[in-house]
Amino acid sequence: MSRSVWKGPFVDSYVLKKAEKTRESGRNEVIKIWSRRSTILPQFVGLTFGVYNGRKHIPVNVSEDMIGQKFGEYSPTRTYYGHAADKKAKRK
Amino acid sequence: MAKNKDKVCVGAIAGAFGVSGEVRLKSFCAEPEAVADYGPLSSEDGGRTFTLKITRPIKNGFAARVEGIRKKEAADALRGTRLYADRSALPDLPDDEYYHADLIGLTVLDTGGAELGRVKAVLNHGASDLLEVAVKGQKEPALLPFTMEAVPTVDVKAGRIIADPPEGVFDRADDA
Repeated sequence: MSRSVWKGPFVDSYVLKKAEKTRESGRNEVIKIWSRRSTILPQFVGLTFGVYNGRKHIPVNVSEDMIGQKFGEYSPTRTYYGHAADKKAKRK
Repeated sequence: MAKNKDKVCVGAIAGAFGVSGEVRLKSFCAEPEAVADYGPLSSEDGGRTFTLKITRPIKNGFAARVEGIRKKEAADALRGTRLYADRSALPDLPDDEYYHADLIGLTVLDTGGAELGRVKAVLNHGASDLLEVAVKGQKEPALLPFTMEAVPTVDVKAGRIIADPPEGVFDRADDA
């Protein structure tokens, strides 16, 4: 069953505080968080979070299409490198 | 990946498929069917060339015919052979798009010219691409977002990347 709408999205309060503090300071830094369960909110767009995967913080640049997802979805807990082959990376 | 930068590993032969001389082909390409599009492929040392024709998709890969291979025994003998394409066979990309194979191995310098490390892998977990940078004297690699802000300059020919990393990217893992 999905979460009741009246409750609003869940976000750990420390994530909100850290994001607000970084936005106010205007510093270019990775906001280290451990809360994989927090929902990505519109005010996080443009910020870079370091989302803990149990071993290290994975940098996650928040963009508009990520709103509503959880931080943990972008920080996998298992690593698979695969082969480079013809795979491409785009600088955004 | 081949140590030689002129060649890119695009697949491997996993053994025979059936009894008519077909091979089981594993593709490492972003679009798996593209493995046969890069012309004749070669072995790692370049000693053998293979012209492939994909016949059908099968579980975990493709069934394919290799020119000159007509028997199961010959197909089985190719098991474990890695297939390499010439780097020049890969199509050109627009600006700000790079092949992982080109980025891996580049030296990462900061804006002051000091060496930070070397690109070990390129990752993408659904957000933006990340460069995994092996940092000198540090056990854990650093993850650098592959964005205009964090990586203002990529010079593949000169073999270097200029990085302006956000604070905290090159911190030691135990500083968290």
